[in-house]
Amino acid sequence: MSFVSRSGRGLPLLAATILGVLAGDAFAARISRLTPPSELFASGEESPVIARFLPGQRFDLQMTIEPDPGRTIVSFDFIVDDQSTLRPFWVDGELIHDPRATLTSTVTETGPAATCIAASGRTTGASGCKLVAGLPGNATVISRRAYSNSRAGVHTLRAIARQDDGSTISATGNFEIVGIDAESGQVAKNIVIFLGDGMGAAHRTAARIISRGYAQGKAKGLLAMDTFPNTGMVMTASLNSIVTDSAPGMQNYVTGNKANNNEEGVWPDDTRDAFDNPRYEYLSEYLHNLQGKSLGVVTTADVFDATPASMAIHTSARGNGTGIVDQFFDDRDQTGLTVLLGGGRKWFLPNPSDSTSPQPVNGSQRRKSNDYVLGDDIVNGWGVARGVLDPERDLIAEFRDAGFRYAADKTGLDAAFGAGTPDKLLGLFSYSNMNVAYDKIAGRRGDSTVVDAFGFPDQPMLDEMTDAALKVLSKNPNGFVALIEGSSIDKQAHLMDTDRWTLEVIELDRAIAVAKRFAERNPDTLVLVTADHECSGAAIIGAATVSAATLEADPDAGKGVVGTYEAARFPKYTMAEDGYPQTTHIDGKMLIGYGANADRYETWLPNRFPTRDTQQPFPPSQSPANPSVRNESSGYLITGQVPGDQATHTATDIPLSAYGRGAHHFNGVFDNTDVFFKIGQIAIGGAD
Amino acid sequence: MSALRRLLPGLLLAALPVLVHAHGEAVSIPSVAARDVPRALAVRGELGAPPRGVVELKFGEIFRTPVGPLGLEPSEKLATLDGKRVRMVGYVVPLYPPAEDRFLLSPLAVDIGHEDESLADNIPPSAVMVHLSEPAGATIPRIPGLVRLTGTLSVGSREDAASGRVSSVQLTLDAPVTRAVRRVSREAARSAETPRHRH
Repeated sequence: MSFVSRSGRGLPLLAATILGVLAGDAFAARISRLTPPSELFASGEESPVIARFLPGQRFDLQMTIEPDPGRTIVSFDFIVDDQSTLRPFWVDGELIHDPRATLTSTVTETGPAATCIAASGRTTGASGCKLVAGLPGNATVISRRAYSNSRAGVHTLRAIARQDDGSTISATGNFEIVGIDAESGQVAKNIVIFLGDGMGAAHRTAARIISRGYAQGKAKGLLAMDTFPNTGMVMTASLNSIVTDSAPGMQNYVTGNKANNNEEGVWPDDTRDAFDNPRYEYLSEYLHNLQGKSLGVVTTADVFDATPASMAIHTSARGNGTGIVDQFFDDRDQTGLTVLLGGGRKWFLPNPSDSTSPQPVNGSQRRKSNDYVLGDDIVNGWGVARGVLDPERDLIAEFRDAGFRYAADKTGLDAAFGAGTPDKLLGLFSYSNMNVAYDKIAGRRGDSTVVDAFGFPDQPMLDEMTDAALKVLSKNPNGFVALIEGSSIDKQAHLMDTDRWTLEVIELDRAIAVAKRFAERNPDTLVLVTADHECSGAAIIGAATVSAATLEADPDAGKGVVGTYEAARFPKYTMAEDGYPQTTHIDGKMLIGYGANADRYETWLPNRFPTRDTQQPFPPSQSPANPSVRNESSGYLITGQVPGDQATHTATDIPLSAYGRGAHHFNGVFDNTDVFFKIGQIAIGGAD
Repeated sequence: MSALRRLLPGLLLAALPVLVHAHGEAVSIPSVAARDVPRALAVRGELGAPPRGVVELKFGEIFRTPVGPLGLEPSEKLATLDGKRVRMVGYVVPLYPPAEDRFLLSPLAVDIGHEDESLADNIPPSAVMVHLSEPAGATIPRIPGLVRLTGTLSVGSREDAASGRVSSVQLTLDAPVTRAVRRVSREAARSAETPRHRH
């Protein structure tokens, strides 16, 4: 709710609303955005409450004001439950703390007027401008950083701005502090979150069928994640869509708040800067400040990717790799970052030229254009590094100087433990996303064609990375928060490469087994297995009615070989000693359909090379460009239902399984943000 | 809040990509049809051995493999070919802003992305900056499929003044190859001016 008071003393809401409607003026003064987001502001409804926080969890307050034409804003306030959040703090007549001076900022369009303000008087949002497009030229964005509140319950936030003619504009929203029941039994010291990116129920089932097998209708064994005692269903929507991407999909779990798609650790705003958005505190920051816990981030993706970054990074542009990896390092004293394992070496190498087309000779991807520099208000409020635009930075050297052991491959990872467990660990095993299990395992079995072509023949498997991470993290007597991500379940499901994503689920499950063993030895540990969203609308539609040889002889057979119902029988894969199927190219193989599919040529056969993924800086030339040209000359065209070249995420609920201390909290159907408050209770108040 | 006031910013935002798109279209790069690629450049079927005195250089041979712990490093083979004549097979990537005397040769069929997009840049570090021995007199066009190029290799980081792009390997084309690129560039420019009609 937003309204203007011409008297400056405040009008009754009804009268103001009527005035606004009668005026019908698109340029009438108003607060067009109030953050934290609330339905009270957006629609006038008091519920659902959108923004929720644990007691003391920090978050920013912000308003976008569209003043009357020609007017400017001369003063403002953010008022929570009738109390200003900008009151100075005095001790014995001495000003100790003045939030207005240190924690606020005002952004207006100060870029070149010719470029930034259109003839219509509206902002253009062009490069070099401060504000996004479509706002009045005198729009003003005001922030109050790092507010927190410890009183449980729903609170009212009122934002007020006064124009230079004395009139005021105000708006009202709400937020909730979710209390923690103190002394509710034993707490979980260690929190391990397994995130199977894009892993819906079908992905789990497919991995079980391949790795355990079925006989007369019964599974012959369970996945490690199947053995977890409690399972719930998670609603995965983001702030701006029923279909989330991986940034809000992950960060919603570890902040308690909804983000827009492509954004992590922040709410949307009306400035162009991708690093100045209103922030809220991550679980890692909260528990590091409160309890001294460490943070571990382990992924098979590039470490700048949306899921790993959504444990610690605050930005509205998930593609800003240079700034993202810099923040991992610069703010390690805020997050407790102790372990960082994955791909993404391209962001850590110096690039003094700041040019990446083509990339410099060392293959660095660092650019000024996606790096970060923060304003005083954020630096003061959050105690974080200011940042520098420094493509020339040698981030591997800085990690090493800060006491991190650096491993570049599996051999290096093993060597890092040669003289005992290191205190801190950095592993960057490839230039971008790591190769997938299908290709890594082929390499270990003697066919290293694919991993050699990528240039990284010695990459660790996720269970090995998990084991290393848990060893390092468990040195902290205060405990840790760890994310372990099987990232290419999603990436290969996007590419509708069935043989590759099914093995990714198996790789993740083998890592889950490692953590389960850890939790058996360390019962003060909570292990969660979940997903950020479902990817591709994957469905196990049946199995081939023909042999592998027949499929190969007739790759254009299409639906003619799909055995449905009893014709599917029970596909039988043989598992090798390394824990992966000897081959997925079997007689009567399991077949997958895709409900969120783009056009693809389907042969039902394994693809020799992985399809190109958009983050790889230099995939081998043998990689098909996308599924719509892969097997074009041999396969059967399946027309897609979504635009573009890849299958998409879906809005389907996903399963979450829990093991260890507090696992019983995770039954039923709940929102992804609820998981944050459950963890908060279990880690701080106790698990009873 | 009136419906109009709610809708207006959205309507303005919705109009913006059209303008941007229109702006982007203002500088277009001509394309060559597959059948118009000169025989001297096209790769059709198995490629024979390079001519005497010319060494075949594959993109995969430019850097040492496996990749070292601190980044890519040029291979020994590359160093030995500095100043020598080589043949390379790859995809033509026209430069942006458009250029008449040089282009990139890439192991992947990709375009140069716009400055502000990209999760990863899509021009691999092994891409080679190719210089014509004399300007084509027309913008170097998009040429479909693989091309083969013969010229003199130059190794070492060099910044392209016009585009600011830094390449680590450059190839200066032999005169006959330059002539073939000139011909196809001029033809592409002409057919871009006079669009073909369907008969």
